[in-house]
Amino acid sequence: MPTKDEKDRIELLQGTLDLLILRTLRLGPAHGHAVAKAIELNSGDVLQVEQGSLYPALHRLIKRGWISAEEGTSENNRRAKFYRLTAKGRQQLAVETSKWDKLAGAIARILRPVEQEGKP
Amino acid sequence: MRRKRMLENLDQDIEDHIARETQDNIERGMPPEEACYAALRKFGNITRVKEDTREIWSLGWLEQLIQDVRYGLGMLRRSPGFTAVAVLTLALGIGANTAIFSLINTVMLRLLPVREPEQLVELLTRYPGEPRANCCSWKSYEHFRDQNHVFSGLIGADDSRFHVRGEGLEPETVEGEYVVGDFFPVLGVKPVIGRLIGPEDDHIGAAGSAVAVVSWSYWKSRFNLDPAILGKRILVEDVPMTVIGVTPSEFFGLQLGFRPDIWVSVAAEPMIGHPSRLTSGRMGLKLMGRLRPGVSIEQARAEMAVLFQWTVAEITKTNQDPLLRQWKIEVEPAGAGFSRLRDQFEKPLLVLMAVVGLLLLIACTNVASMLLARGAARQHEMAVRVSLGAGRFRLVRQVLTESLLLSVAGSLLGVFLAYFGANALVRIMASGRQIVGLPPHLEIHVRPDVHVFLFTAGVALLTGVLFGLAPAWNAFASDPASSLRESRGGGETRFGRLFGKSLVVAQVALSVVLLSAAGLFIRYLSDLKHRDLGFHRDHVLLVRLDPEHSGYEDERLSRAYQELLERLEAIPGVRSATLSAGTPISGAGASSFANVEGHPERPEDRRYVSINWVAPKYFQTLGTPFLAGRDFNFQDRGGPRVAIVNQAMARYYFADGNPLGKNFTLDRDWKGFGADMPYEIVGMVADANYYEIREAAPRTIYFNAFQEGRVPSQFELRTSVAPTSVAPEVRRTVRALLKTAPVERLTTLADQVDASIVPERLIATLSGLLGALGAVLAAIGLYGLLAYTVARRTNEIGIRMALGATGSAVTQMVLGDALVMVGAGLAIGAPLAVWGKSFAASLIPDLPVRSAVPIAFGALAMIAVALLAAYVPARRAARVDPMEALRHG
Repeated sequence: MPTKDEKDRIELLQGTLDLLILRTLRLGPAHGHAVAKAIELNSGDVLQVEQGSLYPALHRLIKRGWISAEEGTSENNRRAKFYRLTAKGRQQLAVETSKWDKLAGAIARILRPVEQEGKP
Repeated sequence: MRRKRMLENLDQDIEDHIARETQDNIERGMPPEEACYAALRKFGNITRVKEDTREIWSLGWLEQLIQDVRYGLGMLRRSPGFTAVAVLTLALGIGANTAIFSLINTVMLRLLPVREPEQLVELLTRYPGEPRANCCSWKSYEHFRDQNHVFSGLIGADDSRFHVRGEGLEPETVEGEYVVGDFFPVLGVKPVIGRLIGPEDDHIGAAGSAVAVVSWSYWKSRFNLDPAILGKRILVEDVPMTVIGVTPSEFFGLQLGFRPDIWVSVAAEPMIGHPSRLTSGRMGLKLMGRLRPGVSIEQARAEMAVLFQWTVAEITKTNQDPLLRQWKIEVEPAGAGFSRLRDQFEKPLLVLMAVVGLLLLIACTNVASMLLARGAARQHEMAVRVSLGAGRFRLVRQVLTESLLLSVAGSLLGVFLAYFGANALVRIMASGRQIVGLPPHLEIHVRPDVHVFLFTAGVALLTGVLFGLAPAWNAFASDPASSLRESRGGGETRFGRLFGKSLVVAQVALSVVLLSAAGLFIRYLSDLKHRDLGFHRDHVLLVRLDPEHSGYEDERLSRAYQELLERLEAIPGVRSATLSAGTPISGAGASSFANVEGHPERPEDRRYVSINWVAPKYFQTLGTPFLAGRDFNFQDRGGPRVAIVNQAMARYYFADGNPLGKNFTLDRDWKGFGADMPYEIVGMVADANYYEIREAAPRTIYFNAFQEGRVPSQFELRTSVAPTSVAPEVRRTVRALLKTAPVERLTTLADQVDASIVPERLIATLSGLLGALGAVLAAIGLYGLLAYTVARRTNEIGIRMALGATGSAVTQMVLGDALVMVGAGLAIGAPLAVWGKSFAASLIPDLPVRSAVPIAFGALAMIAVALLAAYVPARRAARVDPMEALRHG
């Protein structure tokens, strides 16, 4: 598996991991390892997630009631815990996403104000 | 519950995760072993992940605290011996501090339960050479009250005892107080029922002033809280009075130790007093003022100093005492009530507070060194926990939790001890002779309140942190690698060893300070006890009769007493019997100015001369040597006035020291006879202390108690057996002869002298006890350290012995170790002790501070205790079997 150079990787901002998990689970229930893999793949390996840090985040989301956990069997018939987005979590994802867009837009404007004004 | 379910499978989830990643890696072509490592690397710190995840479900700090506490309790349970010694040590330290503080709180800090007590001040006058007093004439009170601009109210009260009877009441005598009309309004005390005495009741002699207010406890115990008490007529000293109200239960008056049950308006005093003290100008009022808002106590002092000049001018019109010109008025904060008891016990209590503070420091150091030795044994555990990913701060918190658990357990036990301790101390304090201005039986209730609770909690927290710091630092600095490598026992650093030793040195130093202080106070007490007072205090029984209701007039009483003296002397075991007006070291007595013929004095040189009225055989009974002339006899009655003087008097007035045959008169004639009739001096006796044990014997004149006027009722008996053993026979004899004059008080002269040095006894007894305790604690500390060192060095000692060192050489080595530590402790402690002495001397004036004996005593005691503590470890070291030691080393 090709990996990016260490220096190109970006450490996750505080709280963004939660958003990424929610986004990943919108596609359907998944177990922990699958979530980690999905985040890595979808970010084109740019985002560096220490896989272990996923678990505190998952439990935090369960505690808030945004996702739920259930026992099941995985693709190769092994026992696994599946995480599923709840209705509340779905709402929260929408809220978080729009918040994130606003934040990203705002930061972008601050970082490149001249370009923005140059192209009306 | 949810938490438990969620966390149950966490380990499994993580394992699965890593297994999957490993599998992926293998599929990607990695060798299995490398695949596993890569998966683990990618996952990160498993312990941290687990802890972080658990933390999400935890209830936060509270849960962690509970966890720490549970773990700490487990640790303490696992070493019950250590826990018991540590908790007991701390209980003694904290208990002693709580006990003394609760006394300080009661006597000095607790505010009166009245409106804004911090505004209250009292007015005290100070006559040269005497303790300050709060006692002011009615005229001066009126002057101060009407002329001042600094008080929003100035009130006065006069303590008294009232004989009370009435319908449905047992006749009894209770504590009472005359109060001015403003008394309750200025204090802001509100009645529970009815109304309190007010300005409208304050019309001298008016029938409307015949009203009384009773205390809540009186209402409860005599009337069972029946509201029908309002309007009830009672007889106070045979004067009908109407009960108009009851004070709140928390109000006990203005003087700690004195709880009046009945308050009566000063205006009613002329109806009660025969003769009236108010109208004759002899009423003495205790004054308390409430400062006007915005007025400082300095302003009040300045104004009172001016107003007081009026009082001095008034008195010096009739009194030629030159020292009155040095009479001063003082204004002191009185939010905690009148200062009488405070003045008596403030300094002893402060000294004791310092002493128990020292003891607590020793206890802390002791527990710290025990924890440290134990911490060295736990280094391994710490190292394992650190290497397993436990945060250092978490470890520190754990260790501090354990320390705090110890201190909390210690303070719980300590509070328990303090409760008994404080009550025992109060009994000692109240065992003293009557303090002038206070009733003979002090009522002091030491109740724990918020202050005491906060103090103890603060002390517990502080001690817990103090003795927990060293082990906590150890935990923080624990280095997993080195500790694990060195396995058990050997992982102690050079610094750690030095620190352990310095803790023992500190204990020795503190103990030396404590012991030398104890030595100092005990020596002071023993000085006082063995001071030559001019009489022999042992084997003298004091018996006071109460002839008040006997109906005997002067002449008959005098004859009866003369016969009683004869019968008392006939009791087996009684060697001589006499009577007098005053007894030595009772704290009170009479005085006057004498005009000695042929010895004119300048007015500014005049001083009071002490006076006593004594019966024949007084000097023989008390053991005061007769120097010249003759004793009194019963034939002096009706004859020319005679007197006996002491040597101090003779030396001052007569150049040749021979007073016999000389004449003098008194300024004020006490017995109401012609003041001009002179007394002739017929005898001279040796000097004897009169009022106080500490002062020099005053110039004293003795008169014949049987010569004129009413004979006093204080009997003294010198016995050849234990004085109290003749008491039953004395009571029988009195009852047989004088049915209507019961025995009022019976005590021994030795007890009376002892009662006058209660503060000194309190300090000496307690500091002696605490000093011994401190020394024992230091010995335990030294023993612990040496025993631990010997155990740790068994191997080395074995080698030494295998190489030819003898048992005694090894013993010497261990003892030498101990002596070095004690030596260092003494070197540090001795200067501290010298400094402590000057601190004590600043509180207790005539302390024998120059003497080096107490410090030498402290040092020697410490060396002896140290050798004793070192003996067992030293013996154990000498008995080390080289073979055994080397085999197991």
